[in-house]
Amino acid sequence: MLEIKNLTKSYDDVLALDRFSLDLKKGEVLGLLGPNGAGKTTLISILAGTLGDFTGTVNFQGRNLFSDRELKNRLGIVPQDMAFYEDLSAMDNLLFWGGLYDVPRADLKKRASELLELVELAARAKEPVKNFSGGMKRRLNTAIGLLHKPDLLLLDEPTVGIDVQAKVSILDIIRNVGAAGTAVIFTTHQLAEVETTCSRIAIMDAGRILAEGTLDELVRIVGERDIVEIVGDFAAAAFSEAVQDLAGARVELLSAADGIASLGVSDTAEIPRIMDRLFQRKLAVTDMKIKSPSLETVFLKLTGRTLRD
Amino acid sequence: MRRLLLVLGNDVRRHLKSPLAILIYIAIPMVMTALIGIIFAPRTEESTLPPIAVLLVDQDKSFVSKILLGAFDVDEMKKMFEVTVTDEAEGRKRMEKGKASAMIVIPEGFTLDLLDAKTTTLTVVKNPAEQFLPDVVEEFVNTLAVMLSGAVQAFAEEAKGIRAMLDAPVDAIPWEALGPELGKAQKKMVAAGKYLNPLLIRLKEEKTKAVGAKTQVTKTDLFSIMLPGMAIMFLLFIVQTLMRDIISEREDGKLRRMMTTPLRPMELVGARLLGGWIMGMAVLLVMVALGTLIFRAYWGPFGWFLLLGAAASFWTAAFFGFFSAMVKNRNQAGALGAPVILAFSLFGGSMMNPEAMPKAFRAVGAFTPNRWFIDGAKLVREGNFPLVPLIVLFASGLVLAALAVPALRRKTSV
Repeated sequence: MLEIKNLTKSYDDVLALDRFSLDLKKGEVLGLLGPNGAGKTTLISILAGTLGDFTGTVNFQGRNLFSDRELKNRLGIVPQDMAFYEDLSAMDNLLFWGGLYDVPRADLKKRASELLELVELAARAKEPVKNFSGGMKRRLNTAIGLLHKPDLLLLDEPTVGIDVQAKVSILDIIRNVGAAGTAVIFTTHQLAEVETTCSRIAIMDAGRILAEGTLDELVRIVGERDIVEIVGDFAAAAFSEAVQDLAGARVELLSAADGIASLGVSDTAEIPRIMDRLFQRKLAVTDMKIKSPSLETVFLKLTGRTLRD
Repeated sequence: MRRLLLVLGNDVRRHLKSPLAILIYIAIPMVMTALIGIIFAPRTEESTLPPIAVLLVDQDKSFVSKILLGAFDVDEMKKMFEVTVTDEAEGRKRMEKGKASAMIVIPEGFTLDLLDAKTTTLTVVKNPAEQFLPDVVEEFVNTLAVMLSGAVQAFAEEAKGIRAMLDAPVDAIPWEALGPELGKAQKKMVAAGKYLNPLLIRLKEEKTKAVGAKTQVTKTDLFSIMLPGMAIMFLLFIVQTLMRDIISEREDGKLRRMMTTPLRPMELVGARLLGGWIMGMAVLLVMVALGTLIFRAYWGPFGWFLLLGAAASFWTAAFFGFFSAMVKNRNQAGALGAPVILAFSLFGGSMMNPEAMPKAFRAVGAFTPNRWFIDGAKLVREGNFPLVPLIVLFASGLVLAALAVPALRRKTSV
């Protein structure tokens, strides 16, 4: 569906995108993560056609995305700004923005009504948008991007500044849109949203992708492990001795104290072996917790902890 | 084209939904015009001139001077002249204070000199601060003098007789002899009447009505003169407000969103300029309608005025399109827009009569739309086609549009 190859963009001396490459399939929901200044918005702006002066190629459905204005009919954007007219009603906004695409008027009205139902704004379709809450405005903002049933949807932080219910509603819409076959690129700083919504995650920084894949794949890429925390009636020395010969590439003793110890395991299949050893050495275990590596740990491992401008 | 019309229609609909700013900008010139009209307009509606204040100094105090006084007392004359009888000293004081347009002095011995067929003089003292009202008084007195002279010469014999009788003491006046004298006078008048009645030559007043011609200033005319200056000033304010959408959409992300759609930058620019033009025309038409209804302002041939309004609106839309492309943000637009409009209005003649301005101001005024619109409106009111103002407004508007289009197009790159 979308092939981005060696996309490079500079602002004066700053390299915003550095030979950025990415492929996206139909129906794939890609979460694009990165710290401030990573190049996410630059990428979205280039794909949306609002930023020029770059090198590289972007092919969409086998054609150069920027060579044919007609392709804009297949591209939808949900910008971070609330980009609609607050003095118009929700319905009037949808009809105006939808009218800029080649959607027949009769279909447009029907589609607008459907979307208002989807985002739960049908009851207030005729009201001026300035009377809407932040969450309602975000839902309308999202609906506008979907009017013309795009094949590629770009969302730039679509859930900023709204409550949990509104956020969940929008994320549901994104999942459903992906399930219906639309390819989605979704940028956000909210890691939890990406974990629950996206089928694929890309982490970028300094204009390049550092790692991409599912969460498990990312964890493996960065070498993060599950942490197994064991609580029981044992001495630290006895515990250390018990697991000593298990330690290796797949098991690592992280800490041991009287009654509590933690191990890093690269594969949870090692856990039964560990428990077996402890049982053989007659070390009493009363509790065990497994903490899987989070996207946050992966993200921080890849991008570092330094604060960004 | 479809998208251009969509954007245009959306803009018009939005502005009509929130017309408060536009209504205020229409109401302000109406109120200002009304205030100025109330303060400076002539007092009577019916007369074509204001009543002229005249002082009459009767040093003769005899029957001929009374006839002169009586001439001003006729109904028609009362509408034209507001006469105050006074003495010379008081009269001169009032003239020095500018309390009257003219003072007529009937000298002592006027009647006797007239009856003796001697040359006598009526003095008309004119107020030098006034341009033409004193001349009206002078002409009227001239006319009276001619009539009196004619009458005295026609009745010279009878006048001698009456003169002689006036010299005699009252009890010595031979009243019986007056009869024949008056009888002779009567015969003369009857004879004159045969020649004069029916009058072979009559005076008939006819008002000319050349197309658009109005040569005298009435209250209605005062509004007709002032309103174009007010209208163009507030047209500038209104179009500037409308064109600020260009800046606000860039700031709040709507422009960026539009550029992600198949809408072409030229379609957007075209819609904005066309929108400014159409809204400007609509507002101008509302002002004209209100000016006509409320102030009975006279604009001249409507088609010509409409063309002039179209040219002015086009210029205004092109100028503020270019202006909106050049300023950085809404704050800058707000800070610069009002001074620019006020400068145009000051030098262009919206705030004062261009003919009363210093030469340097008038020269600068040639670069403002106000000057050309006001001049054009004057020509139309006088029944003349405003060719030069139209050419200047359309041509300079085209230049501005040619500058505005690429500047706006650059601004659509987000």
